[in-house]
Amino acid sequence: MVLRELELRHFRNLGVQELRFPPEGVAVVGDNAQGKSNLLEAIYYLESFRSFRGAGDGQLGAFSEDVFHLRAAVSGERPATVSAGFDRKLRKKKVTVDGNDASRIADALGRLGAVAFSPADAGLVSGGPGRRRRFLDVVLSLNRPGYVKALQEYRRALVQRNAALRAGSGRAAVRAWEGPLVTQGGAVAVLRQEWVAAWADAFAAYYRAVSGNGAAAMEYRPNLGVGADPADDASDPPPEAARESFRRKLDDGWDDDVRRGSTGAGPHRDELRITVESGGRRVPVRTYGSGGQRRTAALALRLVEAATIRRQRAAEPILLLDDAFAELDPGRSERVMSLMEEEGRGQVILTVPKESDVRLRSMSLARWRIRAGAIEA
Amino acid sequence: MSSIDSLAQEFGRLPGIGTKTSARLVYHLLKGPKVDLHRLATALSDVADRVRPCRVCGSYSDDEVCGVCRDPSRNAKVICVVEEAYEVGAIDRSGMYRGVFHVLGGRLSPLDGVGPEKLNIDGLMSRVGAEEAGAQEAGAEEVILATNASVEGEATAVYVENLLRPFPLRITRLARGIPMGSDLEYVDGTTIAEALAGRREMARP
Repeated sequence: MVLRELELRHFRNLGVQELRFPPEGVAVVGDNAQGKSNLLEAIYYLESFRSFRGAGDGQLGAFSEDVFHLRAAVSGERPATVSAGFDRKLRKKKVTVDGNDASRIADALGRLGAVAFSPADAGLVSGGPGRRRRFLDVVLSLNRPGYVKALQEYRRALVQRNAALRAGSGRAAVRAWEGPLVTQGGAVAVLRQEWVAAWADAFAAYYRAVSGNGAAAMEYRPNLGVGADPADDASDPPPEAARESFRRKLDDGWDDDVRRGSTGAGPHRDELRITVESGGRRVPVRTYGSGGQRRTAALALRLVEAATIRRQRAAEPILLLDDAFAELDPGRSERVMSLMEEEGRGQVILTVPKESDVRLRSMSLARWRIRAGAIEA
Repeated sequence: MSSIDSLAQEFGRLPGIGTKTSARLVYHLLKGPKVDLHRLATALSDVADRVRPCRVCGSYSDDEVCGVCRDPSRNAKVICVVEEAYEVGAIDRSGMYRGVFHVLGGRLSPLDGVGPEKLNIDGLMSRVGAEEAGAQEAGAEEVILATNASVEGEATAVYVENLLRPFPLRITRLARGIPMGSDLEYVDGTTIAEALAGRREMARP
């Protein structure tokens, strides 16, 4: 997809501006704290309707304004105009696609086909398992129809079951939640499993390409048996195997669940394990990886995300690079850029502090300057 | 407070009515003939005085036992369990149902403090086991669980179903799937999965 126009109203420090983007992309140059990341955050907000930096909607508006509004026009395989507004006072979010209200935000997700690379991505790899589950959730929500709904219903059944456990309402009243819990949780686990299985080789290849010669692997460590384990009965189709395993775990964990007042089994305990090879052994990069290995692994995850968009949505992803290679050595960052160029000729919107940080194809990109939120094309 | 203000305030407590609409309603009523106002007032006080839950099914009624439960042409051996009283009308309007109803008065939601004890489940149990109780309806043959197709509705159905298990009953759940008149291409994956799981043999002409 190609971002053509972006209209900003009171998002962060960006004020009121209308921008027209060249189809090949743009390099935004500016000092720190001028609003470079805010611009990419605004664009990505129209992809996922959340901040990629993890900020709440209430923090995204300009300090003195109650309402922010964003609108983007994209062309390409599925042209669309997407808009989002948030009213801090009413705590109300409004999302439209081609002028029509999206009754559910899930229906408007993923219309830009964008991927955001940010220096904070290293936290994806070094942070707790929750960070990587969120990564899986975002990628699958944007690319697999039905995932959001399964995840939402799973979470709802989970909080209700936990509330029932804490209300001490007895085993039957708690068990009533296990029907939806098991069905939706099983669906979530199977979709995660499929995605990781489909992209594990690509992840390893990206890691090798960026690092030069390093080896890394990503594997799904589900809390439930999803049928990939040879010990499980392979005759069951994966959803049934996952549901059966979930039911067993809930029964086995009953006493612990009651004591804790929360549910111990389920995909909310999954891990996406990332390992690197070190001295002939595979070690978790989260605990044993160097800073460079973590950053490279995080980049490889984002590259897989971009490749997912390319395949699943049959659209060239828009790459948003937020000073993404700041902490990589020059060899690695050049390999990333050339890798991105081999993969596709999609639009690239990147931010850098200094002109000299713009490398390779991006060298031919138009330069925009940003100062105190004001963008000069 | 003036009587206009207090009426406006009462209207404002109704669902979906804000300050402006409630004021507009009051002035609309004031403009009309006085008889209309009195009729409205009578209708309201009648509802307040007369309407109560039906002793059998828990739906609203002017009488101790509601019209549906008293209707001899209905099959009292088939009980359709719904969450709220207004859903009785929705199912009845389909014209396809000739059994009776049971209103739970809500659905399980521990997050909102609604546990099984807050629902009219005991009433259902005593209806199903009515043979021992010697009531006019000699037990039920089928219970249709028509709670909503939401996470909470599903859990409520499962809970009630487990309680009904010991009785010699047919326990059914409303079918879920493709809405009438819709194109498959626009139906979401979960719904299609449900419809596939619940597919049935085509009837031979």
